[in-house]
Amino acid sequence: MKIYQIVKRLLIMILVWLVLVPSGFCGEPLTEINYRLKWLLNTSAAGDIYADRGGYFVENGLRVVVKSGGPERDPIKELELGRAHFGVASADQVIRALSKGAKVKVIAQLFQINPLQWIYRPDEITVSTPDDLKNKTIGITFGGIDENIMKAILAKSRINESQVHLYSVRYDFTPFYQGRVDLWPIYRNAQGPIIGARMEKAGETVGYFNPDAHGIHSVANSVITSDEILRDQPELVENFLSALLKGWEMAMDPDNAEKTIAMIHDADRDTPLAVIAEQLSLTRGFIQPNPDIPIGRIDVEAWKQTEQMMLDQGMIDIPVHIEKALEVR
Amino acid sequence: MLHRRIYQFFIIYCLGLSGLFAFKYTLGLSDYVIPSPTDVWSTAQEYLFPFSMDVLDTLGVAVVGHMISICLAAVVAVIGGKANWIGSFIKMAAYNIQAYPIVAVAPIIFILFGDGLTSRLLITAMICYFPLLLSFIGIVSQPVPDIEHFYDVTGQTTWWLPLKVRMFENTGKLITVISGSATVAMVGTIIAEFIAADAGIGYRIRIALYQSDLSKILVALFLIGICTSLYLFALEFMGKKIQQRMDVQ
Repeated sequence: MKIYQIVKRLLIMILVWLVLVPSGFCGEPLTEINYRLKWLLNTSAAGDIYADRGGYFVENGLRVVVKSGGPERDPIKELELGRAHFGVASADQVIRALSKGAKVKVIAQLFQINPLQWIYRPDEITVSTPDDLKNKTIGITFGGIDENIMKAILAKSRINESQVHLYSVRYDFTPFYQGRVDLWPIYRNAQGPIIGARMEKAGETVGYFNPDAHGIHSVANSVITSDEILRDQPELVENFLSALLKGWEMAMDPDNAEKTIAMIHDADRDTPLAVIAEQLSLTRGFIQPNPDIPIGRIDVEAWKQTEQMMLDQGMIDIPVHIEKALEVR
Repeated sequence: MLHRRIYQFFIIYCLGLSGLFAFKYTLGLSDYVIPSPTDVWSTAQEYLFPFSMDVLDTLGVAVVGHMISICLAAVVAVIGGKANWIGSFIKMAAYNIQAYPIVAVAPIIFILFGDGLTSRLLITAMICYFPLLLSFIGIVSQPVPDIEHFYDVTGQTTWWLPLKVRMFENTGKLITVISGSATVAMVGTIIAEFIAADAGIGYRIRIALYQSDLSKILVALFLIGICTSLYLFALEFMGKKIQQRMDVQ
């Protein structure tokens, strides 16, 4: 009799659990969304990692799958195919997509200054002004944003392309290490500390040519979503964006440096802690160059300049009026 | 035979393209994800000629790389086919080299040869030679007892004779393997250009990928298909002629 009662109670408990769990007894179910980054999980995604591992997405009722990116993964295409809800893309990708009819909106700009710069050896060459680029061998990724930026610098400085030697770069730095190329494009915050340390170890000095310092403001990583999501699910966008920007604010706060470094290292095991610390310190300057600038601010003028640059170089045929795709808060 | 191969390719290409457009219009995708037929057409008009030059450049490298890999596979198969220490060592080395991903080996190739023609040829040969090697080893290590026994008992056997006999007896198989590996040579060259060159259709595809320009890639794929069909036809034609001559003799 006693055993019968125990079994009966157990069955009732299981039934109650089965009924209550789907109806939200354990709290509101989380909305599952996919977030496609532009590149791999490293310091350039510090805030994304912080928002995810710090639990800010969950606090806002979201279960976000943060997916690393790469050259073969296009977040804009994934938005349109419904495989991602949000993504990270650079201005050139967004403008090119808009020119082909993609329905995409920019909801935040993560990098206020583009970290793309050119590394060189100051012992061998001096590159203080764009004029110093004359007669140099400059690495560019043909078809990449660095091609646009370098060609914009040359055009602005009235330097003919025949006055420089443009060298097609790949993923490995061998031609630069061998001295066959004078300037090589790198992401200052992510690759700079690694390549710079390697060169310094070999007894070489390191210099960086920064296009932004010479008036070329090209927009890098920005958060995007589709027109449809922005129109139909504004609450979702708000929840996602507030959690994401909170993550970025926390990650960029020097007081949280230790925690941020540990989180990044957890996602990017191959990069030593000391390198991540240096990368993070550099990243702060690109995300929030000035404390008055809120994290995530959309720099409309920089977007317009990027569009003009692409128009001038024939990368797009007609203006896309980029300001219409910017959701300035 | 040539026209049949070409129109068969046209059918396959058109079917693939139609499938892609059907997918685009069914899901209502923008031209950024999948270009419209007019976009592909205008890209073809603009890039057909420059891309044709690039594909011919690639084909040239593929042909030379294919020849190198045939020679390499033949040499390795002859040495590796021997049942001694050197033979097994060569075979082991050949198998190991093939196991390394080419993108990991590429930086070493750049250091040694730069990023010009030599690197393209080397990478093509590395990708192409292994399927050839496997077939060649199979052929040269398989005796033809009826004929070889005759030379053995008459005391006329040299180290070279069994090889000649085995290759002669398997000419048809050799021709099929060589013409079949032409596609691998073309693919190998495109990979080489993708990672290690600043010329050729593989390099153009890399730029198009950076620009998310599927129209250019579709035009490039069309030209690659045509060129590969032509090369395959040329090899099969030569093979047929060789076999006809041998049959007469």
